[in-house]
Amino acid sequence: MKAIEINNLTVTLKGKEALRNISLSLDEGKFIGIVGPNGGGKTTLLRAVLGLARPASGTIRIFGKSPDEALKSGSVFGYLPQISKISPDFPVRVIDVVMMGRYGKVGMLRWPGEEDRKKSLEYLAMMGIEDLRNVPFGQLSGGQQQRASIARALAGEPRILVLDEPNTGIDVIGQEDFYHLLKGLQKKFQITTLMASHDIGAITAYVDEIACLNNTFHYQGSPVGALNEDVLTNLYGKNVDLLMHTDVCEKCERLRRT
Amino acid sequence: MMPEAFSAYFMQKALLVGVMISLLAGLISVFVVLRKMSFIGAGISHAAFGGVAIGFFAGLNPVLTSIGYTVAVALGIEFVTRKGKVSEDASIGIFFASSMALGVVLISLSKNYTLDLYGYLFGNILAITEGEVMLSVVVSVFVIGIILLFLKEIFATTYNEEIALVSGIPVRAINTMFLIALAVSIVISMKIVGIILISALLVIPGATAQLFAKNLSFMIAASCGVAVVSTVAGLFLSYEFDIAPGGAIVLTATSIFLLALFLKGRR
Repeated sequence: MKAIEINNLTVTLKGKEALRNISLSLDEGKFIGIVGPNGGGKTTLLRAVLGLARPASGTIRIFGKSPDEALKSGSVFGYLPQISKISPDFPVRVIDVVMMGRYGKVGMLRWPGEEDRKKSLEYLAMMGIEDLRNVPFGQLSGGQQQRASIARALAGEPRILVLDEPNTGIDVIGQEDFYHLLKGLQKKFQITTLMASHDIGAITAYVDEIACLNNTFHYQGSPVGALNEDVLTNLYGKNVDLLMHTDVCEKCERLRRT
Repeated sequence: MMPEAFSAYFMQKALLVGVMISLLAGLISVFVVLRKMSFIGAGISHAAFGGVAIGFFAGLNPVLTSIGYTVAVALGIEFVTRKGKVSEDASIGIFFASSMALGVVLISLSKNYTLDLYGYLFGNILAITEGEVMLSVVVSVFVIGIILLFLKEIFATTYNEEIALVSGIPVRAINTMFLIALAVSIVISMKIVGIILISALLVIPGATAQLFAKNLSFMIAASCGVAVVSTVAGLFLSYEFDIAPGGAIVLTATSIFLLALFLKGRR
C-alpha cells in the first residue's frame, strides 16, 4: 500500500487556485522534498495531506484512508508547522512540548506515564538537546525550538513525518547537519517523510524524490533531474544561480575548521 | 482560629462560595489569559445581564436562565466568527451590547421592582442564599472536574490548534467545551463580584500567575492561589471597613498583580 496517494488534487483558497492538478504517489519509508518558491503552494499541499485544507476536487489517500480517517487513529502524522508562534512566556518547558507529541497516542481521559516520558527524553537526546529539557520553550533560540519541535513531531512515533521548512532558524552550517539527521531518522525508523523547502540546492543530496511545486508540479522524480535549467526557470523564473551540494559540504567543512 | 469577621453565618456562606468560585475562576483564568480570550470573557459576562433579565421577566430563576442565555451567546459568537463573515472582535461587540440592551428593555417591562439588580451588576456575596450556595458549589465542582479531565487536550489546543488536530485531538469539540465552561463559570461567579467586575477575576489571576510560571501545573496553582487569596482578603476587608465585597475582591487582586509585576521587574 502507498503511504500517500494523491489524484488530481485542486485546492482553492479565497477563490484562488492554490494547487492545481496535483498527483503524487509515495511508497512507505521514502523521503520526498517539495521545493518551490514561497507562495507556490507547498504549505497548502502539506496541509491538504494532513486534512487541514479541503480539496476542491481530487482525492487524497493516506495508507488507503482519507486524511480525516487517518487523523482519528491518532499517531499517523508527526507535523512540524512552518512557524510555531509561541509567546516567550507561554508556560511550557521543552519536555512538556515533546510530551505533547504523544497525547494522540495516549488518548483522551488518560495521562502520559513513565513510558511516555522516557520516549520523549529519548527523542530529545536524539536531537541533541536533552540537557535543555527543563528550560521554558520560549527561551530557546530559533534553531533549538525547531529541534525540540521535531522531537515533538517524532515523539508520537508517527508513520508519516510532515515538515514545513524545518530549516527555518537554523544557520546554513547547521542545515547540513540537520538534513543528515533527518536522513538518519528516515533510515532508522522507516518513516515516510514529506518535507517542504524553498531551498532546492541543499536538499537534493538527501531526499529520495523531489517534486517542484509552483501552483502545479513542474517536475517530479529523482533529485538529480530537478537541477535542470528548464525546471528551475519554470519554478523560480530566469537568472537562477545554482549552488551544488553533496552529502559532504566542503564549504561547511572549511568553515568548521576555521 | 477564625478571624472574627468569619464567625457570622452569612460570612461563612460567603467564604465557602467565594473559595469554590475562586478555584474555578483561577483555573479558567489560566486559559483565558493563554488563549487571549479576555475580551470574549468581558463580552460573555455582559451578555449574562440579558440572561438575568429574561429570568426576572419570565419569573424563572435568573441564574438558570442566565446560564442558558450566556452559553447560547458564547456559541453564537463562535459560530458567527467561524463562518468568517464578521471578525471575532466585532461579533463580541455586537452580542455584548445587544444583550445589555435586551436586559434593559426586559427590566423596564417587568413589574418586579424588588429585584436585586445592583447585586447582579456588582455582586452581593454577603446576601447569598443557601440554595445559591448549593448551586455554586455543585456547578463549580462539576466544571472544575470537566476541565481537569480534559486538561491535556485543552492545553495542547491552546499551544497550537493545528498540531493538536494532527495528533488526533477533536479541537473544535474541545474549544466549544471550553467556551461553555467559560460561560457557565461567568454566570456562577456573577454572585460574588457581579457582571461588571467578573472579567477582572477571569484575567488577573492568570495574568499574575503567568509572570512566574514555567509550566502549566505551576501556573494553575498560582492562579487559583491568587484568586482565593483575593477573595478571602477582599471579604475580610469588606467586613472590616464596610465596603462593597465585589470591589474589595477585585482591588485586592489588582494589588497582588501590581506587587507581582514589581517583584518580576526587580528580578
